[in-house]
Parts: sequence; C-alpha cells; structure tokens
Amino acid sequence: MAAVPLLEASNLAVRYPNGAIALHDVSFLVESPSFMAIIGPNGSGKSTLVKTFLGLIKPFKGSIRVNGYDSVKKTGKIRKLVRYVPQRDRIELSVPMKVKDIVLMGRLLKKLPPRFASSKDIKIAKDALEQVDLAELWNHPFPELSGGQRQRVLVARALASDGSILVLDEPLAGTDVESQDLIVEALGKYHKENDVSIIMVTHDLNPIHTLVQDVLLLKNTVIGIGEPCSIMDPELMKKVYGPTARIVEHSGHRYCMTHDSGIDRHD
Amino acid sequence: MIEILQLILDSPFLQRAIIAAVLIAIIAAASGTFLVFRGLSFMASGVAHAALGGTALGIFLQDSGLVPWFDPVLGALLFSVLVAVFTGYAGESGIAQKMEVAVGVSFALSMSLAVFLMYYIPPYRIPQIWGYLIGDILLLNNFDVIMLASTAALLGFITLMFNKEFVYVSVDMEGSIAHGMNARAYHYLMLVVSALAIAIATKAVGAILVYAIMVAPAAASNELVKSVRGVILSVFFIALIAEFVGLAISFAVFVSPSAIAGILAALSYLLALQIKRVRERVHVEIDDIQPKSGDLEEVFEQATVHEHKKDHEH
Repeated sequence: MAAVPLLEASNLAVRYPNGAIALHDVSFLVESPSFMAIIGPNGSGKSTLVKTFLGLIKPFKGSIRVNGYDSVKKTGKIRKLVRYVPQRDRIELSVPMKVKDIVLMGRLLKKLPPRFASSKDIKIAKDALEQVDLAELWNHPFPELSGGQRQRVLVARALASDGSILVLDEPLAGTDVESQDLIVEALGKYHKENDVSIIMVTHDLNPIHTLVQDVLLLKNTVIGIGEPCSIMDPELMKKVYGPTARIVEHSGHRYCMTHDSGIDRHD
Repeated sequence: MIEILQLILDSPFLQRAIIAAVLIAIIAAASGTFLVFRGLSFMASGVAHAALGGTALGIFLQDSGLVPWFDPVLGALLFSVLVAVFTGYAGESGIAQKMEVAVGVSFALSMSLAVFLMYYIPPYRIPQIWGYLIGDILLLNNFDVIMLASTAALLGFITLMFNKEFVYVSVDMEGSIAHGMNARAYHYLMLVVSALAIAIATKAVGAILVYAIMVAPAAASNELVKSVRGVILSVFFIALIAEFVGLAISFAVFVSPSAIAGILAALSYLLALQIKRVRERVHVEIDDIQPKSGDLEEVFEQATVHEHKKDHEH
C-alpha cells in the first residue's frame, strides 16, 4: 500500500474575504513524512494556503487533502493531527498568561473541558521549553518577553502538543539570529527524532535551507515545487521576487538574496 | 461589633443587600474579568442600555395588547442577548476592535428604539423604562435576590468549567480552532452568559453599581496581577470591599451605597495604574554602565586603527 501523501491539492482556488483571488490553479503533491517549506513574497497566498488546508477558509474551487483527509469534509480529523502556530502578532497580549500557560495550551487544547494539566503534561511542556532554551522562564509573564522569546515559546507550544503534523506560520519573521538558530535547530532535531511532518511558511528559505526536504514556491499559484536547490533557480526567483533577486552559492548550497522582508498579513 | 451583627440580624433588607453584594462580586469576577481580557469593557454599559430598549418594547407590546403576556423583563433579556450575538458575530475573526464598534452600534440602536417607542407608550409607564437603570441595593426584594443568585450560580458554574476556553479564545482564536477546539461556540457562550448576567444585575442593583463593579476592578487587577486565577480572585475582593465599604458608609452618612462603591472601584483602577508606574521604574546608576561601553570603544578603536593601516598600505 502506498503511503498517504502529506498534502495533495488538486485544482485549488481560494478567495480572500474581500473576494479577491488569493490562490488559483494550485495542484501539487508532497509525500509524507516531510519537512516542507512554503515560500513566496508577501501577499502570495502562503498563509491562505495553510488556513485552507486547516479548514479555516473554504476553497471556492478544487480541494486539498491533508494525510488523505479533505479540508472541508474531514476538518475534525485534520485538526486532531495538526499543531498550529499562527503568526506571532495574532497572539493577544492583554491576557496575563504565563509562559507555562502558553506552552500547556498545546496539550490542553487537545483535551476535553475542564482541561486539567496532569503531571505528565507539565513534564512534556517543560521539556519542550528546554528545547528552545527558555526553561528558566517557565513562570515568567508571557507578554513581558521579547518578540524572539515569544516566538520560541510558541514553537515550544507546538513541540509539547500531540499530532503528527506541525504547521508554523512565519516562525522566523522578526526574530534575531540567535532565536532563529534556536528555533531551526529545535525543529530539525524534533523532526529527526520523531515521526512527524513539519510545514513551515516563510519568506526566507535560507535559515532552514539544509533541513528542508520539499519547497513549495508560491505566487498566487504554484511556481515551483521540489528540493531546495532546484527551487533556488535564478530565473524562478526573478519571476517571483523581481529582478533584484540573486542566487548565491555557498558551501555546496544555493541561497537566495532578495530585498524582501517583513511579515505577511491579510486581515 | 455585636451591635452591628444585631442590626444585620434585625433588618432583612440589610441581609438582602449583603447577599446581593457578594453575588455582584461573583458576577464581576466571573464575567468582568473575561470581558476586560477580550477588550470589551464597554459591553457592560452597552448591554444595560440595550436592555432599556428591550424594556420599552416589552411595555409597548403589553400595553398595546399585541402580546399581553410579554413581561418587560423578557424584553430586556432578549435585547441583551441580541447585543451579545451581534457583538460575537462582529468579532468572529477574533478582533476586539470590531466587537467594541458592534457594542457601540447596538447601544445606539436600542436607545433609539426605546425613544421611538416612548411616543406610543402611555406617559405613566415611561418611568418604568428608566427605572430599569435605577436599582438600589438597599431596596431589593426576595425575588430580586433569587434571580441574582441563580444568575451568579449559572455564570459561576460556566466560568469554572470553561475558563481555560474563554482565555484561549481571547489569546489565540485561530490557533484554538486549528487545534480542534470549538472556539466559536465558547466565544458566543461567554458573551451571551455575560450579557444575561449584566442585564439581571442592572435590573437588581442599578446601572451605576454594575458599570463600576464590572469594569474597574477587573481593569485594575489586570494591570497588577500576573496570572488569570489571580486576576479573578483579586476582582472578587476589590468588588466586595468596595460594596461593603459603600454599605457601611451609607449608614453613617446619608449617601447611596452604590455611589460610594462605584467611586471606590474607580479609584482602585487609578491606584493600580499608579502602583504599576512606580513598580516599573528602574534605578540604574550611570557608573554601572561605563565599563561595558569602554570595552566596545576599545574594539571600535582597534578596528578603525586597523583600517587606517590598510589605507596606508594601498
């Protein structure tokens, strides 16, 4: 029996809430398990694609399947498998959450009310926080952390949770090199040691270049899909990021240089 | 002390007032806290005024003979739930500002409706509409206390069961949905139950007390206390102390206990802001920083000297 693909889109089209077309003619297949990156410039439909396969947005044409489950008909099944980290600025800071409350959220969200944390939950959460090197901040107020630390706590929330697919939306945006390295290292290690797939939205492939197996290059439709070095093609990059995009070769890998930066938002 | 106890035992109205004060503190802790977390402190006054429109509609339906059994209180509850649902609909994406606007719009809509209907209601019943906003904690009857107690019990139970869900909806709606929680249901549950509690509390003890006690203690606690459970407890005690002091002063001086409680609750917020400011002030002596920057200067100097040498070589 062939393994069920991680993601399988056929002829998918999605609109933004205002009616504009976010994605059209999207068809691709990614085998499971994978460490996958979805890349593309701002407004290219990366986050929209994620929200569509999580069942948060309905496609208006075509379909997308996660582990064989249709995003519209089998939303419940998908949500049992998935651990999701939204963009950092979607986390409301007016609630006095402690770091431990955020990390435990990953475990408690998969339970039923009244969602009490067992000693096992607490142990797993502490281990996850250790992975991103923030164990000493267990009892610290979450809103008082720096942006990079908050992002690391959110990654720990995903590591602590259950489910075979981790989905992270721009986990490296607006973080310094130290936090980026810690996040990338923790994710890479977790992927290697556990039977999980990781799907990461990013507009900068370079920090995760050596870890990623599949790259999906988007600009409102699929521009390219394949392994990192084949996607890092000068012509392909110019098509997506404009004429300023350049490819740099360094220690056997190709890296993309663009002027693009900043977080993707569609409210 | 014994005299005070004797006084309380001898006056049933005082007993009812004390019970009501505890119940209002419970409602504030269970509902006000989560409204402030969601950035919805305006909802307390919005719902109370919407209930005013509902009362007007109830009186109109009763008086015109269209629906004779329609009690004005039903109208008040109906309208407060409608406001909650409307607010919830506007905020389904999890954005608090949109909900605040929805509260404002429904506030205006139901007040307009109330004024509109006043032209068709016999003048002698109009005070009953305004009476909805002017309760008094010392004038409660047994029925008021029972209504208040059952609301507080319902609200308390729901908050005990679902406080984590209410927090998750406030913190990360999208993430909660993606992890399989029915965030939308909890979002509406919280708003509707809060609206019912606000409407019934307003009817019982009056608008001023409800506004002040629902919002100010929660806002004050949220400035200072750094855990969700701590905020809930702190709201309960600030509310209770404000109300008891209000009741006590109203015996010594001729004033409304609600007014005193309201002033005290508002002052608690001002005090909290001030405490926070003092607490966050950091004292660092300028001497402590000097050595570190000295190191950097040295590195910088070395680097620039190096570059100068390079220039000479060229």
